[in-house]
Amino acid sequence: MSRTFVRPVLVAALLALLLICGRFAVAGAASLEDALTGALVPSAGPSLLGPITSAGRVGWECKPERSAASAGWHDAELPHTPFGP
Amino acid sequence: MRLPLAVAILWGLMAAGAAAQTYSPQRPLPRTTSMPALRALATQREIEERFKLGIDAEARGDWTAAVAEFKRIVALNPPEPKGSTAHYDLAIAYANLARYDDAATELRAAIALDPAFLAAMANLVSVDLSRGDLGEARRIADRYITLDPESARALYSRGIVALRAGDAATAREDFGKLLRNNASYAVAHYDLALAEERLGHYESAERELRTALTLAPAYARARFALGVVLLREGEHGAARNEFKQATVDAAGDPALQNISAAARDSIPVP
Repeated sequence: MSRTFVRPVLVAALLALLLICGRFAVAGAASLEDALTGALVPSAGPSLLGPITSAGRVGWECKPERSAASAGWHDAELPHTPFGP
Repeated sequence: MRLPLAVAILWGLMAAGAAAQTYSPQRPLPRTTSMPALRALATQREIEERFKLGIDAEARGDWTAAVAEFKRIVALNPPEPKGSTAHYDLAIAYANLARYDDAATELRAAIALDPAFLAAMANLVSVDLSRGDLGEARRIADRYITLDPESARALYSRGIVALRAGDAATAREDFGKLLRNNASYAVAHYDLALAEERLGHYESAERELRTALTLAPAYARARFALGVVLLREGEHGAARNEFKQATVDAAGDPALQNISAAARDSIPVP
């Protein structure tokens, strides 16, 4: 095989390899970026407020209605701050 | 001799009568012989008893028994506030049985009977989030906020619905307002940071996440989000450190731990 023939074949093979590696690198970066964006999930929705007696929701004794109207997150029974696993 | 004895007995009887505590009957005896009136009284009594049984069943987690009690009350069609309350309590039992569509139906009925029933609106938003019905969740959350603009739950609920629906501007507004009254609530700082990140406000997102982590240093999800935001800001070394710490803090969350480790390893050590 002549040297003049080997050279372009080698260059073409190297270029193809570069292209494939580049494509994989770009795909890898894109998939990592997608995974990072997908992992930024909002906090959990609030849990259900508890049952109410036959007296109904009006009045100081009705804790769920008070929780629903509270301006403070603790009384509103919102998800607790996670301090660890 | 007879007279002092009689006086002593009389005095003793009077003293005993005064010492004894009298109880009024819990329910007045019906003073009617009319059949419809007696039937109405019996129904009223049945409703009261079934409320007690249903709430006791919910307290011990027997949701099936609770459904039976509250369904019967609903069928008896009691006047307000018992009607809307029975629908509300029935919805709680259904939701705990993962029958979210039935729970939503009951909560809608409760709100139709009592249009200012905030607890029913709060629970309907939660149930809709479980059902994945973001459209209704948003409509109810909007109404909830209109009725009580200062309610922490209303603001949080709509903020979460907005974030899940891709409305970062509303989420930013709601979590910002929630934090005005609850500056030490780390969860709200985290969700506000997500809204800022989606709006491309990376500096604000970073500030909120740092506040969340000051309030709750082992908050793994906030630590991971800070890594992502720092990466977007081009701070690769700092981002790597945050991912590394998130891998440690997320020990109880394997999915978060894996993605944190992958992100850490994707950034070359300088």
